[in-house]
Amino acid sequence: MDLIQFPEMSRSSLRTLRQVVDGGFRDFTRAWGDTLESLFSPLQSLLTLIENLLLRSPWPLVLAGMAALIWLASRSSRITLGSVLALVVVGYLGMWEDTMRTIAMVAVCTMMAVVIGLPIGILMAQSNRANAIVTPLLDMMQTMPSFVYLIPVVMIFGLGKVPGVIAVVIYAIPPVIRLTNLGIRHVAFDVLEAAEAFGSSRWQKLRDVQLPLALPSIMAGINQTIMMSLAMVVIASMIGVRGLGQPVLQAINQQYFTMGVMNGLAIVAIAIILDRTTQAYGKRLQKHAEAGR
Amino acid sequence: MRKILASTTLAFLGLSVPALAADDCGKISIAEMNWASAGLAAWVDKIILEEGYDCDVALVAGDTMPTFTSMNEKAEPDMAPELWVNAVKEPLDKAVAEGRIELPGKILSDGGVEGIWIPTWLAEEHGIKTLAQALAHPELFPGAEDGEKGAWFGCPSGWACQAINQNQYLGAGAEEKGFELVDSGSAAALDGSIARAFNRKEGWLGYYWAPTAILGQYDMTRLELEAEHDPEKWHGCMVKSDCADPVVTEWPVSDVFTAVTKDFAAKAGPAMSYVAARSWSNDTVNGMLSWMVENQATNEDGAYHFLETYPEIWAEWVPAEVADKVKAAL
Repeated sequence: MDLIQFPEMSRSSLRTLRQVVDGGFRDFTRAWGDTLESLFSPLQSLLTLIENLLLRSPWPLVLAGMAALIWLASRSSRITLGSVLALVVVGYLGMWEDTMRTIAMVAVCTMMAVVIGLPIGILMAQSNRANAIVTPLLDMMQTMPSFVYLIPVVMIFGLGKVPGVIAVVIYAIPPVIRLTNLGIRHVAFDVLEAAEAFGSSRWQKLRDVQLPLALPSIMAGINQTIMMSLAMVVIASMIGVRGLGQPVLQAINQQYFTMGVMNGLAIVAIAIILDRTTQAYGKRLQKHAEAGR
Repeated sequence: MRKILASTTLAFLGLSVPALAADDCGKISIAEMNWASAGLAAWVDKIILEEGYDCDVALVAGDTMPTFTSMNEKAEPDMAPELWVNAVKEPLDKAVAEGRIELPGKILSDGGVEGIWIPTWLAEEHGIKTLAQALAHPELFPGAEDGEKGAWFGCPSGWACQAINQNQYLGAGAEEKGFELVDSGSAAALDGSIARAFNRKEGWLGYYWAPTAILGQYDMTRLELEAEHDPEKWHGCMVKSDCADPVVTEWPVSDVFTAVTKDFAAKAGPAMSYVAARSWSNDTVNGMLSWMVENQATNEDGAYHFLETYPEIWAEWVPAEVADKVKAAL
């Protein structure tokens, strides 16, 4: 017996297997492409709306609005000033439009990730079976090379924003889910017992005890999701998503060093702004909760 | 007589002949470039040279710049079956002038073709032949983010064709005619958008090039630009991303040659006439590549399929007795 050569499927049956799967997928896109696309069209409208809001309003207004949001969330003049300064520099270096597109994209992706991820995280914390099913899926989403699912997504949705959002959300949603699950599971047992002793229902327990106590962990998850969606910006540009990723991609392919670094740093600037703001917001929430109790 | 006897004995013993035939051709290395049409050509060469000319062929992985540089500086590998001349124009001219590299023949008889393509069924249905006619109907070409506009799919980010395509778009006044330039991001995504359009029987308009598997799989028509190629305008403006005054200009046909080193030309003897004669049309290559995609075939599978299916094409490249030897080996 040949122990060097691994016993593998014959070439022809392997080929048939690949053909069958490819053919099945092609039939699927033909049958369901239109339906799926119209299902996701609200997402497209939302993205276009936010993008137009950022791009077609006068820039001082946009800057002031962002400063106000950052201030409201962080209540820190240092973070607010630093953010405004960073945005002004990025804009002055000619990257305002791309930066706004990227911010719109990240905002929508984060929103989607939270809206979908939070309930899944809560479900996983409540049920061990859900936990056992979802965890391997999350592992897969985080490690599967993106282009493997990007091209099928393009075959269904075409090039542009919607496939971009789907790709980014697939990659960036796991931290919200994982950390929501973890945060809720780590709520001390005696606290829950006390809540039960006071006769709270399951819903009351979740809303008034578990979620508030898990908040720091959930905020850390959202923060990670934002960071990961920014990391996907360049990959998303490979399926035609406009924003800071495109000049980076162009710079990589043509070896324009300065252009690559500048746009890369603009992505970093957005990341730092969002990171500091959400962290400060998370801390403030905690403080508020501690003081209130 | 003794030599013939010896070789037949060896053949009967099950040893192959390269040991003796080494005087004729010897060991040669061929670059298997990392794109589909060149990979297929490398395998066709390998089989014909091994079976027909008793060469001992080794394939090495390659890409335009590294392979050319290595051939130029170190005379390795011996042969690049498909070299797109424009990509290495200046150093190649020098290498040819100084005798380090020879270009025995054009592998693509039509040359590499670039242009703006639309699905053939659409072209026939609406009688569209030229770019101007297509641009009059933005509603036929969906895919833009702004649903009311037509989509013009561009060349992937950072490729040399990106600036050219953008200048053609601007020069054609496509924006005023209700089109949006969609940046395709990558070749894979561009292919995906074409596959999607054909799956749904939707219109598609954009930049593409031949020979490619996509053009073999999907029947597309190249639009006439109704403009001559103007080398001065082309190199002075169209290839630049900051071209001040873009106008529609026909793409030049890219010359695609087989390149061999001087050593190979000297030692390969009769095989050189094969390399000089070997030339196939874009239709043949497109068809082969699409067969390979449909059957998920490797370059080797594709080469055998080509040799088995199209003897009338390749038999013309070699003398009759060589053709018989190759046929016998299939």
